[in-house]
Amino acid sequence: MIYNDKLGDFMDLNALIRIIEKVGKIEIENIQITADELIINIPSAPPVVIPQTPSIKEKLADEGIIEIKDVPELDWEPPIEKYPGYIREVQFGKPKSEGGRGKVVKIGGQKALYRFEEPQPNPPVVTFDIFDIPMPGLPKPIRQFFQDVMEDPCEWAKKCVKEFGADMITIHHISTDPKIKDKSPREAAKLMEDLLQAVDVPFVIGGSGNPQKDPLVLEACAEVTEGDRCLLASANLELDYKKIVDAAMKYDHNVLAWSIMDPNMARDLNRKLIEAGLDPNRIVMDPTTCALGYGIEFSINAMVRLRLNGLKGDELVNMPMSSGTTNANGAREAWMNNPEWGPREYRLPLWEITTGITMMMCGVDLFMMLNPIAVKTLKEIGKTLTTKPGEVKLNTNNYEWIVAKA
Amino acid sequence: MPKKISVMDLYKLLPKTNCKKCGQPSCMAFAAKLLEKEATVDQCPVLNTPKFEENRKKLIELLSPPVKEVWFGNYKRKAVMGGDEVMYRYQLSFFNPTPIGVDISDELSEEEIKNRAKEIENFAFERTGEKLKLDFIVIRNASGDVEKFKKAIEIVEKETEMPICLASLNPEVIKEALKIVKSKVMVYAATKDNLNDMIRVIKELKKEKDVVLVLSSNNVKELKNMAAKCLANSIKDLVLEPHTYPENIAETLDLNVMIRRSAIEREDKYLGFPILNLPINAYYYALNNPCPISEFFEDKDVVAKMYEATIAGTLLNRYADALIIHGLDIWELMPVLTLRQNIYTDPRKPQAVEPGLYPIGNPDENSPVILTTNFSLTFYTVTGDFEKDNVTCWLLVMDTGGKAVDVSVAGGQYNGENAKKLIEETGIADKVSHRIIILPALAASTRGDIEDKTGWTCVVGTRDSSQVGEFLRKNWDRILREWKEKHQKEKA
Repeated sequence: MIYNDKLGDFMDLNALIRIIEKVGKIEIENIQITADELIINIPSAPPVVIPQTPSIKEKLADEGIIEIKDVPELDWEPPIEKYPGYIREVQFGKPKSEGGRGKVVKIGGQKALYRFEEPQPNPPVVTFDIFDIPMPGLPKPIRQFFQDVMEDPCEWAKKCVKEFGADMITIHHISTDPKIKDKSPREAAKLMEDLLQAVDVPFVIGGSGNPQKDPLVLEACAEVTEGDRCLLASANLELDYKKIVDAAMKYDHNVLAWSIMDPNMARDLNRKLIEAGLDPNRIVMDPTTCALGYGIEFSINAMVRLRLNGLKGDELVNMPMSSGTTNANGAREAWMNNPEWGPREYRLPLWEITTGITMMMCGVDLFMMLNPIAVKTLKEIGKTLTTKPGEVKLNTNNYEWIVAKA
Repeated sequence: MPKKISVMDLYKLLPKTNCKKCGQPSCMAFAAKLLEKEATVDQCPVLNTPKFEENRKKLIELLSPPVKEVWFGNYKRKAVMGGDEVMYRYQLSFFNPTPIGVDISDELSEEEIKNRAKEIENFAFERTGEKLKLDFIVIRNASGDVEKFKKAIEIVEKETEMPICLASLNPEVIKEALKIVKSKVMVYAATKDNLNDMIRVIKELKKEKDVVLVLSSNNVKELKNMAAKCLANSIKDLVLEPHTYPENIAETLDLNVMIRRSAIEREDKYLGFPILNLPINAYYYALNNPCPISEFFEDKDVVAKMYEATIAGTLLNRYADALIIHGLDIWELMPVLTLRQNIYTDPRKPQAVEPGLYPIGNPDENSPVILTTNFSLTFYTVTGDFEKDNVTCWLLVMDTGGKAVDVSVAGGQYNGENAKKLIEETGIADKVSHRIIILPALAASTRGDIEDKTGWTCVVGTRDSSQVGEFLRKNWDRILREWKEKHQKEKA
């Protein structure tokens, strides 16, 4: 008797021979034969050739019996990396118990690239750009949010915090530029004092981009915000960075180190700042964000390499990173009125969102942004990156789109 | 860790005759091109002879990427996915820009199907001299009716040359569709529940080589086992679809990273297939649920499309080798297609045009001289705008190492020394009767330096090249006249 595993039954030899006569050849797998004495004399059954019949395979197909090969179960391990290094954590603001104004924001602190490897400690943070003079040049879809507060930086800051959920505020003292209003560092510092009263979130303090004036402006502002752990923006090799480093150390602030899309340049700048006396735990790197469509791929490469090298243990580049995401609004595809491109009120936020998200995927921790729509979207996506796997309940039916109403 | 092969590993297998028939000066040079993916094995005629058959096979094996290159479509248009070798683009380059497909429901009327298919095929957005387009059409069996599905396929095949993806979880529907479809299609999708039936359908129709099968699961181990089973059954063109979760996109990003890392860094060949993601899920999610954009726009359709573009951009940054979307508005697709173009730019090639003097229109001795950079995007934008606006000028293209105006101003390549060199090399001084250079407004800060080094007078122009036409029409005659008057006085 032969056990047929397909039929789940025992077959006798006659049945087997009948099959052989029909098909000419059979393959027996895992046969179990129980008999007292067994003589199989298959060659005595002559090969039966039936011409003009479909081959066995097609015949089975016609009957709907296609053989599907099974494979033994394969194992899989989640590919988790070991990282010898870490990203430094930088703190903005101070709790009241330490003499600060209350709100504390932290960035960095990662020990791995992805949340499935190690919990990610701090979600990405957005700091809203505001200016010390009205900006009539902002595209209307953005200006409309701030039209009523542009005359007063304090009101502007309040609106960003109250209505648009700003984690931090970046004040650009652009009127200190000799070519604009040439306001004195003292005047900038006065505005800083007013801003501290107006809102309780930490500040990024920016100059006008004038390399002669900026160190003086930042120094004066650092003094009046002493102990508030602001971010002084920014130090680079084109200006008297020693002055900015000294101000940061003397008045308890952090420094933004700005380089141009080159990891070696970023590293070199960090080294010089540290040699000048800056605590490396007070550095945030800005390797330059080019807008989507305007060289963002250079920023991608620079930021990815900095983050990877930081996690590999290079202590000169393991600082958190910042992105001037607002640059996205300079892209003509974002701001230009062009009927062929559809409404710019949709294009503008999408350009800033896509630029910011791309930088976020490269490891950026701090985002300087302008458009409340983009800010809200980026923050929501950013929050998911620090959730634990499986923490958020997922209700999406992945296949609903197939049958969705058009 | 990914396998490391060297030029020598490849050279050993070549004929070493230096016959130059491949177009390279030597076999060693050819080996280097092979390694960089800038040449293919087929370009060597000697390798195609029987004597080298064994070596040819070894070469192909050595050069096959850890993520398989998979295509579908017809002889006119193909959607090619995967083929990647590295985790990060700086390590080499990413290959095969993510094909993007748009859905068509088979519940639409014949006219609507035809129009939408045409719209998808004709969509184009031009940037930097390149037409950015959509890549395939997804026909989805929303009706549940086989006949409607077949009709939709027929219309799309008749009206367009677009590669087709068929979407239905019902193997019987897929079977009937595969019987009539003329090209190699992507089938969405095999799940753990219908995998056996999908395999059976494909085998019955003997379409193992004419189908790309999408395997769908949110469990990587399950995807791996599904892939192994398909391979054992001779279905080798596979795509992995690890579910797209709009309410927590980090879940999908994790799955994408784990799949890609397994393939490239752990050499898991069962996971070495392209990844498909579904921003279309974000569209339908945002249509019916609150999302971050909801509070800013009343029109739900606008909100849904903005959220879809956001999710598409996120996934493009994390190994999405193919995307299915719903929106067709240019404002939604512009950021997505631009991002794709940027990510898939080959970092090994400088994005620069030849520096030098470019006459625009028919310039003469009184035409303005405008100074820009040799970043290709800047160059194409500027010349495109000038052409549109009938600007006539001498365009000086400075070597800034392929950097844009603002970046090269900050980086110090846009400077007086470089401008001086360019003026001397191009001999522009002999072509014009004046010594005036118009600078982009973004380079205003370099004005002093350029005037000092070159002795030319600098005029700060507009912020954007689209405004140059108007600027010149309003100002150029006056600028030129004033300069000449001043110059003649100085002479006198």
